[in-house]
Amino acid sequence: MKITNLKLQNFRNHEETVVEWAPHMNVIVGQNGAGKTNLIDAIHYLCMSRSFVSSSDMYVVNQDATFFMIKGHFEGNIRASFDVGCSYSRGEGKKIFVNESPLDRLSDLIGMVPVVVLSPSDKKLTSEGPKQRRSFIDSFISQISPAYLQDLLDFRKARKQRNKLLQEFRGNREVLLAYLEPWNVQLMEYGSRIVAKRTEVLNKFRDYLAKEYEVISGMRHEPHLEYQTFCEPSEDEETVRERYQAELEKEQDHELERELTLIGPHRDEIVFYLDDFELRKYGSQGQHRLFALALKLAQLLYFSDELDDLPIFLLDDVFGDLDAQRTEVLLNALIEHAGQTFVTAANPIPFDEYITFDGERNRKYKVDQGQISVVKTK
Amino acid sequence: MEGTSEILEQAIEQLAKLPGTGRKSARRIALFLLKQNDESVIKLAEALISLKKSITRCSTCGVISDGDPCSICQNTKRQTGQICVVEESQDVFLIEKTNEFRGRYHVLGGVISPLDNIGPDDVRIKQLMQRINEDDEQIDEVILALNPDSEGEATSYYINKLLKPFDDVEVTRIAYGIPMGTELEFIDEATLGRAFASRNTF
Repeated sequence: MKITNLKLQNFRNHEETVVEWAPHMNVIVGQNGAGKTNLIDAIHYLCMSRSFVSSSDMYVVNQDATFFMIKGHFEGNIRASFDVGCSYSRGEGKKIFVNESPLDRLSDLIGMVPVVVLSPSDKKLTSEGPKQRRSFIDSFISQISPAYLQDLLDFRKARKQRNKLLQEFRGNREVLLAYLEPWNVQLMEYGSRIVAKRTEVLNKFRDYLAKEYEVISGMRHEPHLEYQTFCEPSEDEETVRERYQAELEKEQDHELERELTLIGPHRDEIVFYLDDFELRKYGSQGQHRLFALALKLAQLLYFSDELDDLPIFLLDDVFGDLDAQRTEVLLNALIEHAGQTFVTAANPIPFDEYITFDGERNRKYKVDQGQISVVKTK
Repeated sequence: MEGTSEILEQAIEQLAKLPGTGRKSARRIALFLLKQNDESVIKLAEALISLKKSITRCSTCGVISDGDPCSICQNTKRQTGQICVVEESQDVFLIEKTNEFRGRYHVLGGVISPLDNIGPDDVRIKQLMQRINEDDEQIDEVILALNPDSEGEATSYYINKLLKPFDDVEVTRIAYGIPMGTELEFIDEATLGRAFASRNTF
């Protein structure tokens, strides 16, 4: 999948920006605060309906404006050619358009244009709490399976309904249990599917991760990942469901006391190891960085193998942190990726030694105060 | 604020409470009504008042109706053995249009949703159980025709569970499937998946 052009209106510091993109490599250089990240964040909006930088759409609107608008034209194998638009205004909220017609739900967009993002905040993936890893795996699987995304949304709904009952029901225990039962059924149905799918994808993902870590690190350590849920992870939905039911029954008193849903994929954890030691506890800064890099490159390869269309790869300011050897490894990986790539960089990175900026297949851009221009080379 | 009418603002405020009507549309409607002749505005007002004052609910099935019991419950030609459970009165009108169902209805007036503070006692589930327990109306089948969302599912599950002890009452639900006049390629995966799961023998 490729984005051939992008139009921005009032998107952060881009008041009016129109760019034509190259089909393979797009390198965007400029000083800090020039608006490089905003360009690839806008592309991310058209793929995932949200920013990868800020948590609220409100902060994305240009300071002097009340709305923003992003439009992009995409070309791919499955859908030959289509437009995606995203508009946001304080009054009307966010809307996504595909070929000018609005989507009923923002989630319907996910998976249409697969995307992988590499950014400095990826360090959080391995160093912070389990929530980071759950949201990584959820965004990962949602892009390859719309049914999984639906299960996530349905699970969340059932869990909220159930929590509300646990928190606010005042009456006798038997009645509460009878009221909980319909929600237990939904919780188990969606939850078991989520766990089975996570198990399946992570089992396949392991090999990709091992391979990429070897390339990136030069094989000094061997990476492992362990998926932890309320039972022995299984790819079989029925097996998980039986275990789910048993656990819910076992933890019933505990749940009534805590007034909270305690069993389910919302409490899953993915533990990363290098050889035998847990990365989160014992990893050095450098190891976290390399591991996160390997995770994202593994995701890129996984998507490339599994999906009919190659994902768009967005790299936000990642070269600044890498030594010469890793820079070379990463640049080579980018050149090998047949899909479309976007790279932002503030520091002078020796891109020209590796990439031929012919202006057709690969292009270099310069951004200055929200203005973008193509850099002529040679 | 000068230059506006307090009376107009009040009308707009009331109109803006209507579903699908924002303040902008409410203002348009209010100004439109102002331009109409007295007679047609009074007719509208009277229709609204009698809608609220004269319309009633059938004490048996709960559908909104001009009289109690409603015409469906009164109709002796309809099968008494089947009850179709729906969420709102409008669902009754929709199903009636199909001419496929000749039994009677039971309108719950909502579905279970703890997040909205609606429990089983806040919808007409007890009344449904009473109807089934009554001797003069022998029920053989309860058809659940609720929305396939999580609240509808939870409500269906709850009712089905309550009806389990009644051996002579069969509980069925309307099928999930592919809408008429559409093609497979335009169906979302969730619907198609459901349609597969509830396929029937050809």
